[in-house]
Amino acid sequence: MAPTKPTKASNKTRTKSKPGSNSKKPKPSSSAPTGISKRKQKSLSLAKPGGAQKTKSSLHNNPNKRKKRTYKESELDIPTLNSIIPAGIAKPKGEKKGKKFVDDVESMSAIMAMVNAEKEGHIEGKLVRARQLEEVREAKRREAEKREGERRDKFEGVKEGLRKKRGRKGKMVDGEVGKENDGGEKEKSGKKKERKRVSFG
Amino acid sequence: MRPLTEAETKTLFEKIAIYCGRGISHLITDANEGERHVFRVQKDRVYYMRESLANLATSVARDNLLSLGTCLGKFTKTGKFRLHITALPVIAPHARYKVWVKPNGEMPFLYGGNVLKAHVGRWSEDCPEHQGVIVLSMIDTPLGFGVSARSTADARRLDPTGIVTFRQADIGEYLREEDTLFTT
Repeated sequence: MAPTKPTKASNKTRTKSKPGSNSKKPKPSSSAPTGISKRKQKSLSLAKPGGAQKTKSSLHNNPNKRKKRTYKESELDIPTLNSIIPAGIAKPKGEKKGKKFVDDVESMSAIMAMVNAEKEGHIEGKLVRARQLEEVREAKRREAEKREGERRDKFEGVKEGLRKKRGRKGKMVDGEVGKENDGGEKEKSGKKKERKRVSFG
Repeated sequence: MRPLTEAETKTLFEKIAIYCGRGISHLITDANEGERHVFRVQKDRVYYMRESLANLATSVARDNLLSLGTCLGKFTKTGKFRLHITALPVIAPHARYKVWVKPNGEMPFLYGGNVLKAHVGRWSEDCPEHQGVIVLSMIDTPLGFGVSARSTADARRLDPTGIVTFRQADIGEYLREEDTLFTT
């Protein structure tokens, strides 16, 4: 406790206490031999109703006694919409920590249905793509066949034309020979004719 | 030993669905056998077992438990799932696409070779390219599984030495990988 001057303290008590009141409590006087120690006397004086006495010096010496109050967020009465809760931090209360096990048939079936739908989609896509490719391939093959047929027809036509042309030429050559050699050469030409027939036959 | 998490279940089902399609539902409900079967993870391996067996396993410490039920495969460190040959008896009855191999093609396949067109006895119709298939012998014994190299339509035009199915696992591994197959 801070030391207090007895005179000042007595003055203050005198000013604070009502002048008309006749209090039964003994006035603190250092001179009166009451047998009570100084400290006791002082505490008694403070215990008086309305007699709380605090000097400036005592307030200055005890700064820890009166701390500035810090308010919690809940005490501040802030509207909930205005408070900021970062997305990563917000966690629902009462939820299980750690791994979430799947052991019941329902949740397993749900996962299975999800996986199956995905896989079915993949397989269907593959099949559709394969079918489309097959169609394209078939169309190409048909076109190639058609082109091949056309080419063969053309070739046959040319061949036929050549054959006809040669046949006509052969006849003409025979006629000329017949005109030139009327006699013994006929047999030779006949042999030649036969040979030709064999080769083109 | 613990049940699978949501993400793990999804990864596992995605892998099994490659071979089984909608047949996974039989694995979950398993109505024909009566008792429910469950999936459990021990370290990184996934096992498929009866529920009663899984409940009994809770009395064994994780460190002391080596394996239980049928091992389906394992989760890699990157979170993917790798199917083991031990899963064949589980997935084969529910397979969607199948390839039947003639007796002359069984041994080449069991020694780790791919399935050639000359060895194929039958195949499922409408099988797309790169789809999981189960390889069976002509008497319907599952020999392994793989991935189709060509769609069924393409495979018809293939020459006899062309590959129809790429091998992924075969029952010859029980002998070839004897040392490492069951190590954890």
